[in-house]
Amino acid sequence: MTDRARYEALVLPHLDAAYNLARWLTRNDHDAEDVLQEAMLRAYRHFDSLRGEARPWLLAIVRNACWTWLRANRPAEIAAGDDELESDAPGPEALAAREFDRRALNAAIAALPLPFREALVLRELEDLPYKDIARIAGVPIGTVMSRISRARGLLAQALRPAAVPRLRVHK
Amino acid sequence: MRTDERLHAYIDGELDAAAALELEREMAQNPALRAAAERLRELSSAVRTQADYHRAPRRFKKIPKEKRRWLMLAPAFALALLIGAGIGLYIARPAEDAELVASHVRATLGNRLIDVASADQHTVKPWLSARLPYSPPVADLSGEGFPLVGAHVYVAPGEASGGSGARDGFNVERFARGAMRYALVSDLNRSELRDFAKLLNSGPGS
Repeated sequence: MTDRARYEALVLPHLDAAYNLARWLTRNDHDAEDVLQEAMLRAYRHFDSLRGEARPWLLAIVRNACWTWLRANRPAEIAAGDDELESDAPGPEALAAREFDRRALNAAIAALPLPFREALVLRELEDLPYKDIARIAGVPIGTVMSRISRARGLLAQALRPAAVPRLRVHK
Repeated sequence: MRTDERLHAYIDGELDAAAALELEREMAQNPALRAAAERLRELSSAVRTQADYHRAPRRFKKIPKEKRRWLMLAPAFALALLIGAGIGLYIARPAEDAELVASHVRATLGNRLIDVASADQHTVKPWLSARLPYSPPVADLSGEGFPLVGAHVYVAPGEASGGSGARDGFNVERFARGAMRYALVSDLNRSELRDFAKLLNSGPGS
C-alpha cells in the first residue's frame, strides 16, 4: 500500500474525533478548522512516525496543535494550572441526580478549564482509556485521574439548580 | 488515591480488580457512597449522550494539501545552451546535483530573491522573455496548491541531465519537455517535488 492509501485507511477514519477535540478545545468552528488544517498537514507529514493505534496518535497531534494555537492566541486559558483550580473541585456529594438540560450541559463543558475539558472530552466523547488520555495530554495517569474527577465535579456543580446565575440587584 | 478519584476511576473501569472489589465492599456498607457512584454514572452518560459531537467539515476528508509557493528561477546563461537540446547535450557539461543545489542556495540567499514579484503568469512570462534569449514557460499552478510568487534570473551551472537526487536536505528533480530541460531544486520531499514536476510537465506549455 502507498503512504497515501495507508493515510486514507488509517488516519482519515478518525477525522471527526480530531475535529471534535479541536472544536471543544478552541470552542468555535472557525478556529477549530484552522487548527485542524494545521494538524492534518502535520499528521500527513509525520505519518511515518505512526506506531500502534492511529486514533490516539492523531489526537495527540491535534491536541498539541490546539495548545500551540491557544498559547499564541489565548494565553490566559493556558495559564491556569491544575493546582490553582484544586479548591474549586467539589466531592461526589455535590452531584445532583436530575435531568440535564442539553444546552446547559454543553455550556457547562465549554466553561471547564482547558485541562479538565480536554480530559473529559477524550474520556466521555472518545471513550478513551486513561492511559491513552495520559499519552495524548502528555501527563501521568494520576493527573488524568484527578483531572477527570475534577472535571465531573465542576460539571455537576455547574449543573446544580442552585448554580443558575442569580440576578444581582444594584442599588 | 482520594475516594472521589477512586469512584471516578471505578465507573470508568480503570480500577484494578482488587481496588474495585475493595470499593464495592465499602459501597455495600455506605449507601451515600453507592448513591454518589450512581449519580456519577448518570452524569457520565448524560455527557456521552447529550454533549455535542462536532463532525469535521467535508473538505477535510482528503489528503491535506500544503500551499507551497514556487519561484521561477530562470538561468540566464546555461539555458541558452539548452534551447537546442541536442546541441546542448553535447556542449554542456552535465551539472552535478551538488552544483545545482549550491547554485540554488546562492540564488535564494540574496536580498533580491524575487526580481519580479507577481502571482500572475501573464506578468511573469513577458518579464522573463524580455531578459532572456528564450521564453520560459510559466504555469499557474495555484489551483494545485502551488501559488507562483514571481521570478528570479541568475547564472546557473551547466547542462542538467535527467533523473533526480537528493543533496544537503534538498531534492533535485529533472525532466525534459520539448527543447527545454528543467531542474527543480527544493526542500519539498521527494514525492511532493515529483508531483510538482509532473504538474509542470503536463500543464499548458505556454
